[in-house]
Amino acid sequence: MTIDQPSRLGSKPSQPGSPVAFRLDAASGLPTYMQLVQQVEHALRLGYLKPGDQLPKVRDVVGSLAVNPNTVLKAYHHLETKGLVEGLPGQGTFIRATLSRVPLAELTELRRSLLAWLVTADAAGLDQDGMVALVTSAMHEFREHRGAASGERKGVA
Amino acid sequence: MNVVETSGLGKRYGSAWALRECSLTIPAGHVVALVGPNGAGKTTLLNLVVGLAAPSAGIVTVLDGQLAGSPAALDGIAFVAQDMPLYKNLSAADMVHMTRNLNRRFDDSYAKARLAEVGIALERKAGKMSGGQQAQLALTLALARRPNLLVLDEPMAMLDPLARHDFMASVMAAVAEDGVSVILSSHVLTELERVADYLVLVSHGSIQAAGAVEDLLAGHRLLTGPASEIDTLAGRLNIVHAQRGEAQAHVLVRTDARTDSVPPGWEAHPVTLEELSLAYLREPGAAWLPGPARSRAAHSMEMAN
Amino acid sequence: MPWRRMAWVTWRQHRFALAGIVAVFGAAATYLMVTGLPMRAAYAAVAGCSPSSSDICRQAATEFLSNYAPGVGYTLGLLQAFPALVGAFAGAPLLAREFETGTFRYAWTQGFGRTRWTLGKLAPLAFMVTVVAIAFSGVVSWYLQPIVDAGDNNGPLYPTVFDLTGIALAAWTLTAFAIGLLAGTLVRRVVPAMFAALALWAGLAFVTGAFLRPHYQAPVVTTNPNIPIGAWVINQGWFKDGNPASLDTINRILTPVDVRAITPDLFQPGPSTPANLGDPVQYLIQHGLMLLTTYQPADRFWTFQWIESGWLLALSLVLFVVTVWLVRRRAA
Repeated sequence: MTIDQPSRLGSKPSQPGSPVAFRLDAASGLPTYMQLVQQVEHALRLGYLKPGDQLPKVRDVVGSLAVNPNTVLKAYHHLETKGLVEGLPGQGTFIRATLSRVPLAELTELRRSLLAWLVTADAAGLDQDGMVALVTSAMHEFREHRGAASGERKGVA
Repeated sequence: MNVVETSGLGKRYGSAWALRECSLTIPAGHVVALVGPNGAGKTTLLNLVVGLAAPSAGIVTVLDGQLAGSPAALDGIAFVAQDMPLYKNLSAADMVHMTRNLNRRFDDSYAKARLAEVGIALERKAGKMSGGQQAQLALTLALARRPNLLVLDEPMAMLDPLARHDFMASVMAAVAEDGVSVILSSHVLTELERVADYLVLVSHGSIQAAGAVEDLLAGHRLLTGPASEIDTLAGRLNIVHAQRGEAQAHVLVRTDARTDSVPPGWEAHPVTLEELSLAYLREPGAAWLPGPARSRAAHSMEMAN
Repeated sequence: MPWRRMAWVTWRQHRFALAGIVAVFGAAATYLMVTGLPMRAAYAAVAGCSPSSSDICRQAATEFLSNYAPGVGYTLGLLQAFPALVGAFAGAPLLAREFETGTFRYAWTQGFGRTRWTLGKLAPLAFMVTVVAIAFSGVVSWYLQPIVDAGDNNGPLYPTVFDLTGIALAAWTLTAFAIGLLAGTLVRRVVPAMFAALALWAGLAFVTGAFLRPHYQAPVVTTNPNIPIGAWVINQGWFKDGNPASLDTINRILTPVDVRAITPDLFQPGPSTPANLGDPVQYLIQHGLMLLTTYQPADRFWTFQWIESGWLLALSLVLFVVTVWLVRRRAA
């Protein structure tokens, strides 16, 4: 196969104009649009995206991921409903608000206590799937108790 | 606007019907996946839509009532056939020139810019290009005509994975930019799942299912439960296909996933497009066609087993 | 404007075929000129001989003919293939290749439409092959001039001469093109279509020369053994008392003068043949046999040319119409 135009890896952004680029996980059980929504929220949490930043243009996402444009539009619309982004006609989609960010120090501390818990659970004889199941059901209980009080709150995944 | 409308459409070659009783209404603004096993009738249907074949029965109109194959239809529809037909001894520039000359509407600068973008030299002869480049050239010529409808017959059959990705990315970018409607056929569903938002399932010359992917998926559920309870379930819901083990069974049922409750004793899972298509293809009598409810009821009677 | 653009498409796609036709014509014309010039020079000597009815001059003419006529005949035989080849190589691949390679799926889904696209290829190429053929028949006529003037037995109506001169060559070439085009549309494969076109054309040419052309006008039937110069003899036979005379009968009559008839028009004298016998044909007539000749006179050349070209043109048009009709009907 001949290559008419050589390109250097990563030299040109495939979704230019935006700090982030989307990817797809074919193995994930999530519908595509949900994956994009989650990637935006994740990027917000990690600080890759700040208010005022532009999300990749639909055309660019579609050109690099080969997905239906409606899927991207659906994701952006979903984010708009959540109040995270706003679409400016003719200009693009921009970040509007942030997810409440947990400071790095607190994140590190939370991570440490989680790891300690995992060690304890492992010592108690729980295998990995058992741990996941336990966390999931606890999360469920937690949600039910605080979800009854307030609706979905920003920052809670 | 409806890009394709057929009513009782059929095509016969000799004494064999390649397609029969095909009634479809495909709205504009979608990427339509035409899926089915080899020999199901996909190419026949596409040939009828683009006017390469004439119906043996029924009618087919395109782009809001134009007769398929009429001058208005030819103007508005761009077709790329299965083996990417190009004149092998003509250069890319020649093919652009030829396509420009044979059509009323043609965006010459778009064509040249696109070819540059995908790295195809204008002087290169079509016969000397790789499969992926030929596909991109054929696609460029089609898109430069600024069609209302783009029809692709098994466009990825002869492309390697990278070429396939680039090809679909180009098609999707055109949809995003120009709003062109697309119908593409394939016998491999997985490569169409991410791009299609409308599905037409063809099997043995007839349409088994047709509808927006959203509606299709919302209209079905995969239930897992005791195999012994299947008959009870059949009394309540339309079963499309059941996969039984000794004790456990997975059943694909027709239901409104948004509103209907899950029958007790059964676990519900969302359905993937691939699972749904396979289930229908395995049950030749099953059909899911938007239209009079009787067509579904008639088939569900056969299915209740 | 759209037709001019279609003309570019036809040119770009078929320029090699067009060039090929011109090249073949050029090569054949060159050959005729190269061999024709010496022949003309040789004939100049014969033509200059005076008085033309004297034995010496007649002898010169006969010598000229025996030197050059065979070569001319051979050349004419080869040139018979000219229209057939044009038809096979220009006509057959035109549509057949599109089917064979699948490019018709591209061409017939463009906005221009398949009917106009077909016409846009058919018309320029048909015109081109016709023009080339007309030019070539002019060269052939120039080439044949000396032979004709010297009084060759094979007159202008003779099969291998007739269809290469006048307007018949153009008509036969156009017909070959039309046959090739239709064959390509039916057979859909280039090489088989070419063979089919060649076979069909050859069949038509044979049937025309053998059965049709002799009867465009009622032939002249005569008992006069002296046939006008350049006439095309269709039939000649000996009759006795109203019935065809066998070779045996002829030989029986010739026995007294020791002449043997090898064929009804070929006589071999023997050792005891009288020196003043003269023409055996006259002898046979004097002894009760009748020589019946059916022929077409040379001055009917142009009438026949118009008749033949007329029906060939009509046939070509019918074939073109059928081709376009098939294109419109053809499913993928």
